[in-house]
Amino acid sequence: MKKLNVLGLITFFVLVLVNLPFLVIIPSSFTAAGYLAFPPEGFSFQWYTMILDRPEFIESLWTSLKLATVTAVLATLLGTLAAFALSKYKFRGSGFINALMLSPLTVPSLIIGISALLFFTRIGIAGTFTGLLLAHILISIPYVVRLVLTGLSTFDYTLEKAGYMLGAHPFRVFWDITLPLLRPAIVSGMIFSFLTSFDNVTVSLFLVAPDTTTLPLAIFTYMQETLDPLVASISAVVILLSLVFIVLLEKVYGLERLFGLNSQSH
Amino acid sequence: MNKRLSITLLTAPAMIVLLGVFILPMLLMLLLSFQDENQAFTLQNYALFVQDSFYVEILWRTIRVSLWTVLATLLLGFPVAMYMAQATGKMRGIVTMLILAPHLISVVIRNFGWVVVLGEKGWINETLMKLGLIEQPLRLLYNELGVVIGLTDSFIAYMVLAIATSLYAIDPSLSKAASILGASRMRTFFTVTLPLCLPGMIAGTTLVFSLSMSAFVTPALMGGTSVKVMPVIAYEQIMATLNWPLGAALAFLLLGSTILLVTLYTWLIETKRYKEVFAS
Repeated sequence: MKKLNVLGLITFFVLVLVNLPFLVIIPSSFTAAGYLAFPPEGFSFQWYTMILDRPEFIESLWTSLKLATVTAVLATLLGTLAAFALSKYKFRGSGFINALMLSPLTVPSLIIGISALLFFTRIGIAGTFTGLLLAHILISIPYVVRLVLTGLSTFDYTLEKAGYMLGAHPFRVFWDITLPLLRPAIVSGMIFSFLTSFDNVTVSLFLVAPDTTTLPLAIFTYMQETLDPLVASISAVVILLSLVFIVLLEKVYGLERLFGLNSQSH
Repeated sequence: MNKRLSITLLTAPAMIVLLGVFILPMLLMLLLSFQDENQAFTLQNYALFVQDSFYVEILWRTIRVSLWTVLATLLLGFPVAMYMAQATGKMRGIVTMLILAPHLISVVIRNFGWVVVLGEKGWINETLMKLGLIEQPLRLLYNELGVVIGLTDSFIAYMVLAIATSLYAIDPSLSKAASILGASRMRTFFTVTLPLCLPGMIAGTTLVFSLSMSAFVTPALMGGTSVKVMPVIAYEQIMATLNWPLGAALAFLLLGSTILLVTLYTWLIETKRYKEVFAS
């Protein structure tokens, strides 16, 4: 136990640091003062009711929720199908396709954003919801493919075979055997896609128009002009929303496993 | 169903998105970076970089800030990974959760939290002034220090993950063997643990470096107008000046220099390691 003390102390310090932003934002959002302060002065909900008077934030919240939901569904569908092909069949070029599926992760968001803007301008979908959606699906696919491939790598195909032998229709086999076994991987792919899309700034930055602005981007823009407790109350809403999905992710899949950490010790 | 048809049907939807939204646009961007305003081929967007010390200074600043971030995440992240490797069950789960969860919440919001902490009227300055330790507020924000703090917070999880993964993989009996053979704890750490988790450290440092080099949001929010880095300049060329060819070239120059530096770094470490192995 003694040797853990220094490490434990540093670990505690780091944990406080990485969580400090939230530890100051939440209390600051309840301030009664007209300016940003920590520790906050007084207590009131005024900065929360103030959000309601700012249609641009409400609208961008809806855009973000809509975008993240559709992204999650489509990216999961596309990624899962591709992962099935990659895992089930051995074929020429599968290595290439696999690498390609994961490649958006290795290229800086900045470049993805700029190139998408250039291309979307040419084909006339820059600034539209469709353009934004396509880019968000692109950056979510790698996570889904990786998660589902991991799920499939330990998948026991003899269970499917057993289903066939007992006379089940291929769709029934898929629905009753394959899907339930892969559900944790697929669901966590979906939640992760949702979070990726919901929190994205760098790619969206190049692709939004005033009427398709997402919430993080609306906060980003507002923050560059003004710093008041309104940012805190809106941020608190986003933190709460994200937390719901993080807890879901932890329950469904486990964060440790999600990030590739060994979970044998549990 | 025939195998070829199945493969095509299953991969086609994702491939269309990848080719259409990623590969094709990137090629277009590369092409554009070699064009002048009349769409003729030119190297001027890249040459400008060699001629104009303004851009060289910005690239150097980007590299400098990224290196400081790598150092900070390594120094703070290594002990955390060590702690996680030594902790058991529940404790390890709690630490993992507390280090990873913030990473899944918008970087804009985390940066905002730091602005509240570090600002001129922020928590730190107010506290230090009240305690009478300083008379003037410290400048912790809108300079390179602010950017490094923001980036360290953003990317420390990657460093911890990379190192922890390689620490978990080390067979505990190795350290036991070392201590049975009479090695001190320090010696065991430096001759057994550290070399074995070097791959994790290399992975972590290269990852954090690459991420810091291309980070846009944190430098924009915590660096202010005076600490411009390459991504911010590229963004301005695209969105404000509307000089798309130059913006594209700057982005590719950034990517190229990042790849070059990372390759050089891994090459240096690898050769040094082999030398050590063969020397002993």
